[in-house]
Amino acid sequence: MSSQVIYSSSPAERRAAGRAQVAPWVWLAGPYALVLFLFLAIPLCNLVVLSLFRYSATSIWTPELTASNYARILDGFYIALTLRSLWIGAITTALCVVLGYPLAYFLARCSPRALSLGLFLLVLPLMVSTVIRAFGWIILLGREGAINSLLRALGIGEPLGMLYSEGSVIVALVQYVLPLMVLPLMAAIERIPLSLEEAAVNLGSSAATVFRRLIFPLSLPGLVSGILLSFTVSISVVVTPALLGGRKVRMFGNEIYDQVVTANNWPFASSLAVMMILLTFLAIALGLAAGARAGRRR
Amino acid sequence: MLRDSKVLKTAVVLIYMALLAPIVVVVGVSFNPSSSYSVDLHGISLRWYRAFFASSAFTDSLFMVSLPVALASSILATFLGTLAAIAIVRFRFVAREAVEAAFMLPLLIPSVLLGAALYLFFARLNMSGSFAAIIIGHMLIGVPYVIRVTAAGLVGINPAIEEAAINLGCSPAIAFIKVVLPLLRSSLFSGAIFSFIVSFSDINVAIFLAGPRTTTLPLHIFSEIQWQGEPTIAAASTIQIILVTLMILAVQKFFRIRLAF
Repeated sequence: MSSQVIYSSSPAERRAAGRAQVAPWVWLAGPYALVLFLFLAIPLCNLVVLSLFRYSATSIWTPELTASNYARILDGFYIALTLRSLWIGAITTALCVVLGYPLAYFLARCSPRALSLGLFLLVLPLMVSTVIRAFGWIILLGREGAINSLLRALGIGEPLGMLYSEGSVIVALVQYVLPLMVLPLMAAIERIPLSLEEAAVNLGSSAATVFRRLIFPLSLPGLVSGILLSFTVSISVVVTPALLGGRKVRMFGNEIYDQVVTANNWPFASSLAVMMILLTFLAIALGLAAGARAGRRR
Repeated sequence: MLRDSKVLKTAVVLIYMALLAPIVVVVGVSFNPSSSYSVDLHGISLRWYRAFFASSAFTDSLFMVSLPVALASSILATFLGTLAAIAIVRFRFVAREAVEAAFMLPLLIPSVLLGAALYLFFARLNMSGSFAAIIIGHMLIGVPYVIRVTAAGLVGINPAIEEAAINLGCSPAIAFIKVVLPLLRSSLFSGAIFSFIVSFSDINVAIFLAGPRTTTLPLHIFSEIQWQGEPTIAAASTIQIILVTLMILAVQKFFRIRLAF
């Protein structure tokens, strides 16, 4: 941004201000920076410290350094839990890519009126509480739910037991994170000039070729941020698997919640949370590296 | 052309249907006269809305917790976020881009982690379950939205107007308050509404930070679903959906909604 008012006070002005030698941006950004320090940095440090303390049944934790909380994550149960969370996150993200492209392309190329309606219908589900969306899927997928009633009306006998499975969690998660995929993807496609598409079509390219050779490679930056958002959000959910996964399909977030609130094993919960931070950062780093590589090849 | 293809339009309609289906059925069930979780097309009944307003657990969670918490956290988030946005857009300082990225952190960190970290932090301060705890949590997840919306609005304001006021003798601060702030009104309003919705709909932070006195509406809905309560849940959800819809419509009226994401 080149055209900005940049305030710089002259030495005289600064002297006039007396003791206030602090630049104005410090006063502006300071309050929020302080809040971030107090309520984000310190709680996260507290988390890391707790994860290294020993659990005690009487006082929750004792200030005695140990690596045992991390060792416990290597237990088969938690490995399976981690792999399941990553797997569900990966499938959800892949489905969001497949469903997100048509939607993002449509929104990027439609008329302004269709765009404002389309965005409204995209942002609305995003802003309605996750609980309510999960509740909707319970109604739709339940044994006596809407989909089974429809099947019964069509004469298909046996009700399908769709709820409390990995499938129902994934369906609900896709609905949860799809807008997060579409929004950055749409922004990237909008930046591709329509004339490029027209030129390709005029030169005889099919729709599939236009997508594969033009839209897809040029929208990669948006795709990368969409994938990162979808993946990090979907591996860290609590409510969706709690309501739709039943006892079988537990994810990382459920275990953290139970260890914090129900089991009161704060040191172990903290080590799980630290693991989740590391997994998230790893995913972001891998995604950004892949994006940079794809950018270079282009 | 790809954009005119029938296949694309059909796919878009189907995807939107799937996206909206869970919300539509919840609204449908809330008007259902019987106590099953089904959509009855024959009769519309307000039975579950009466049940909602008759239940103090539901009305308290909406009027005594969710709305006041959302209001307080949105005011705080708008104040902090607007100041931060002005610093980011209008000032040059060392590592400005790093600061900008750090200011978005509450959005990048999975909200479950934020909730767990704050829970353990507030537990140490003996503040578990307090209004302060949940308001601070919700304020944190609201500020990034306010910053984005306000920064987008600020970038669109021609600095020449402000310079003119300064040249005519205003101090930079007065010029900002008298000239830029009125132009920024719609962004400020949109940022405030966004942070309000973020708090009003949140469950991931509330599930950790809320206590018996501070059970928000989504949290109460969550526990009712777990206990397989009556369709009152659907009526409560519909009230939430309607409020969120109205707020998004209000934002869309005078702000380009996409700038918030």
